[in-house]
Amino acid sequence: MQTKGIKRQIGWLYVLPAILILLTFLIIPFLMSFSYSFTNYNILTPWAKQYVGFTNYINTFKDPVFLQSLKNIAQFVIFIMPIQVGAALGLALIVNKKRPGNTFFKISFFAPQVVSLTVVSILWMYILNPDQGLLNGILGIFHIKPQPFLTSPKQAMFAIIGVSAWQGAGYQMLIFLAGLQNIPDSLYEAAELDGANSWQRFLHITLPMLKPTSMMILTTTFISAFNLVIQPMIMTQGGPQNATMTPIYYIYRTGFTDRQLGYASAMSVIYGIIIIIFTIIQRKITNAGGDENA
Amino acid sequence: MHKFMTRRRFHVIWTTVLITILALFFLFPLVWMIVSSMKPESQIYANISNFKAFLPSGHISDWGKAYVSIFHRFPVMRYILNSVFYATSVTIGSIVVNALAGYGFAKFNFTGRKLLFGLLIALLVIPGTTLLIQQFQIAKTIGILNTPLAVILPGISSPFYIYMFRNAFAAIPDSITEAAELDGASNLRIFWNILLPMTLPTVATVGTLSFIGSWNDYVWPLMVLTNSDQFPLQVAITNINSTNPVYMNQVMAILTISTVPLVLVYIFFQKYLTQGMGSAGNGDK
Amino acid sequence: MEKWKLGVATVAAIAALGLAGCSNNQGSSNSKNVTMWVHVSNTDPEGKALQKNVNDFNKENKHGYKAKVQFIPRSGSGGGYEDKVNAALNSGSLPDVLTLDGPNTAAYAHSKIIQPIDKYITNKKDILPTIIKQGTYKGKLYAAGYSESSIGIYYNKKMFKEAGIKDSEIATLKHPWTWTQFKDICKRLKNHFHEPAINMNLNDHSEMALYSLAPFVWSAGGSITNPAGTKAVGYFNSKQTTSAFQLIQDMVKDGYTTISPKDKGFETGKYAMMMTGTWEVQTLQNQYKNLQWGVMPYPVSPATHKQVSPTGSWQYAMSSTAKNKKAAGALINFLMSKKCMYRSDMANTVLPARKSVSKMMMPKVNEQMRFFIKQNQTTGHARPVLVNYPQVTRTFADTVQNVTLYKKNPNVQKVMNEQAKVIQKYLQK
Repeated sequence: MQTKGIKRQIGWLYVLPAILILLTFLIIPFLMSFSYSFTNYNILTPWAKQYVGFTNYINTFKDPVFLQSLKNIAQFVIFIMPIQVGAALGLALIVNKKRPGNTFFKISFFAPQVVSLTVVSILWMYILNPDQGLLNGILGIFHIKPQPFLTSPKQAMFAIIGVSAWQGAGYQMLIFLAGLQNIPDSLYEAAELDGANSWQRFLHITLPMLKPTSMMILTTTFISAFNLVIQPMIMTQGGPQNATMTPIYYIYRTGFTDRQLGYASAMSVIYGIIIIIFTIIQRKITNAGGDENA
Repeated sequence: MHKFMTRRRFHVIWTTVLITILALFFLFPLVWMIVSSMKPESQIYANISNFKAFLPSGHISDWGKAYVSIFHRFPVMRYILNSVFYATSVTIGSIVVNALAGYGFAKFNFTGRKLLFGLLIALLVIPGTTLLIQQFQIAKTIGILNTPLAVILPGISSPFYIYMFRNAFAAIPDSITEAAELDGASNLRIFWNILLPMTLPTVATVGTLSFIGSWNDYVWPLMVLTNSDQFPLQVAITNINSTNPVYMNQVMAILTISTVPLVLVYIFFQKYLTQGMGSAGNGDK
Repeated sequence: MEKWKLGVATVAAIAALGLAGCSNNQGSSNSKNVTMWVHVSNTDPEGKALQKNVNDFNKENKHGYKAKVQFIPRSGSGGGYEDKVNAALNSGSLPDVLTLDGPNTAAYAHSKIIQPIDKYITNKKDILPTIIKQGTYKGKLYAAGYSESSIGIYYNKKMFKEAGIKDSEIATLKHPWTWTQFKDICKRLKNHFHEPAINMNLNDHSEMALYSLAPFVWSAGGSITNPAGTKAVGYFNSKQTTSAFQLIQDMVKDGYTTISPKDKGFETGKYAMMMTGTWEVQTLQNQYKNLQWGVMPYPVSPATHKQVSPTGSWQYAMSSTAKNKKAAGALINFLMSKKCMYRSDMANTVLPARKSVSKMMMPKVNEQMRFFIKQNQTTGHARPVLVNYPQVTRTFADTVQNVTLYKKNPNVQKVMNEQAKVIQKYLQK
């Protein structure tokens, strides 16, 4: 770092607005979730708010819906990572080659990204409608019998995974593409002279050179996957049979619809800690943002 | 040699065909969305299992009907303006607030800077979305519920953007600021006239990401706004989708309308999205 | 030196945002103003009629009261009307007058969200007893229902004839049909048209589930909880309640109905029957004039032959934070008047909540609406009064969904045992 050692207190003034807002909307809420979580705070009866110790925490572990939601989010994370990131890498490799219509392909793959999650969710609800949906209409042409999609506990989460990957892959494709274009051509030329085939070149040049980009994409996908809420909220309301209920949505529903702020806070503490642990592990592994302590 | 050429050409042809099919897979929902907004509802259902599903109505006079009806039934223009207002405010606020903070951290060695910056990095791991309910309580306490401020304020400061700005400012040699200081320029003038222009790519990246993030935000505005006149598009379209009677062609029309502004943003700012993300993620510079 | 400029800039930026924020939010506390929230959209007939009524109130009342309505439609995608009421409750920003569904009366009155309105409502004797009962908590009237509601089995006359169903087999209030006969007719329709026979709206996981399907439970002699509302185990999983859910599962399993019905399937002649509310009368009359249709009552359990139909409706209530009680009370009373009720009930084709309005409507409405009015008065059954009703009704809807997924949950009794425990959890609190 080049900053001189002279103390210049005016720096405080510059960072203050940002710090104040972060304090208000991130730090205090974070601390509040702890203090609420030990009470039976109910919106209907705020005057009856009482300290209840660890009752809420004990209840979360006995709450089948919360446990199910953790299972669901694990399923989502495990499947979305390889599918979305794999697809993004594949697409990037495709559009990185010069061929006729390349711009069209690039735009096509990226197009879903332009649509907001809300629009994506509503649109796919109509496409995935079992009886009148477009997808079953298309499958019918190939004589595949109609699928229940969002109305089946088995398929609903996979449908959401598919829709999310469809939407998200294009953006990551662009980042991969930027990474690919940073690889010097000379490396490939040298490898070609050494007689390496295209697969070997991919394995020994492309992949290692893409490592920083891949790590960054994997990290952001991983962390944002934990926040899944809009798709199930709009497409399935967490159903059928809670098969697509996610922790964030369940916390929202418990605190907002069911009015149980205390219990919802206990769940946000637990889920928050789970995410924090995973984030830290991720950081340790990928070591993203290396110079942060400088 | 001749044989090689045909094989090569054959290879090009079949990969192009495969890739075209792949591209169609990515495009078909969007095409369907647009063409479905351009025909009567009954035709959407009637065409569902043949190729006509991807063609608009045969009568050109039908094309705009769903749009006319949706504008007639709902204050669509108002929703669009709301969204534009929220997203623009968040964008400007986010650039100003985060850039100032990044400047502060990069160029001033004030007391507690290291501690504060460490804290900021630690904040990166706190998942904001798990705190929606507590954030709602805060918005209630400071009395901004049902005002645009509730939608805008939480979005204008982000540890990640501050981190990006700090890196951008730190990369500028101190000699430049020192020279300016010798000329008698104030800190703010140095920031505004010299440093900020030098970090234009970061400004564009943060601005674009903030705009898109705010434009796409759904759950938070849904929570803090009650009056439908204040709804941003994302909340309004889910409302329209559940306000009886629901006509599919009209729903598709509002979905299409709400996508147009983002298309423009992506066309003009797409390159900053990848540039910014790439450099920030690698942690270099 | 020029540090102040930075300060000014920062303050200006924040103030600009703040100003923008405030400009849209003038919460005038003029006591002549009455704020009101309703759960309907201002684009549907009910909302339009209400807006007209409120406009009339603003014109006609002699005290210069001014009412302003905010339309907050219920929505399936989370964040609907009830969530907004909860949020306002939390932040102490409830409107003066709000609408609420019948079953919520107890919870709201119990937690002092709404206040008694006895003294503001005139001509109470004219109001139907079921409506008074629904709005009463501990002997005081807290909410005034402006309509009644009911559900029936709509059927397509032409399709019935085609499938060889005789006129003598058509059920009426005098000659009801049993579940066995119901299933038999479904079977014949299904075999003839190769489509599900009836749309039971099983894809609707809202309050509709309990509202429209609980009559099967009640007809079988079952219940959701004990009368005191303290026990679900032993009631929700009783043999009688289970038999009703078994019927629902069988209907799906045998293909007589479907969990993902085609949109407008009945109206366009794909399904021969549809189970839905009075509001459908209007749609059919206005938009599907060629369809020949009639309405039948709920089929009854073969074990009891008890006729049951759902009742209840949305109501007006005054929040306990109402700034000007007289103005709010005057608004509710005005909206409950004969003229207003007639207008809104005719617009939405719902059943009237006043006897006098009933008389006004009878000659104007068709045979089917007369059937509904009669059914409502003879076989209506109220929904349970529970403080945690929202959770209970959701569990009911979950249970319906569970049993309709018959491959996954073939054993209905097992589902009922589990779900009874879930409901029990909500009752103990």
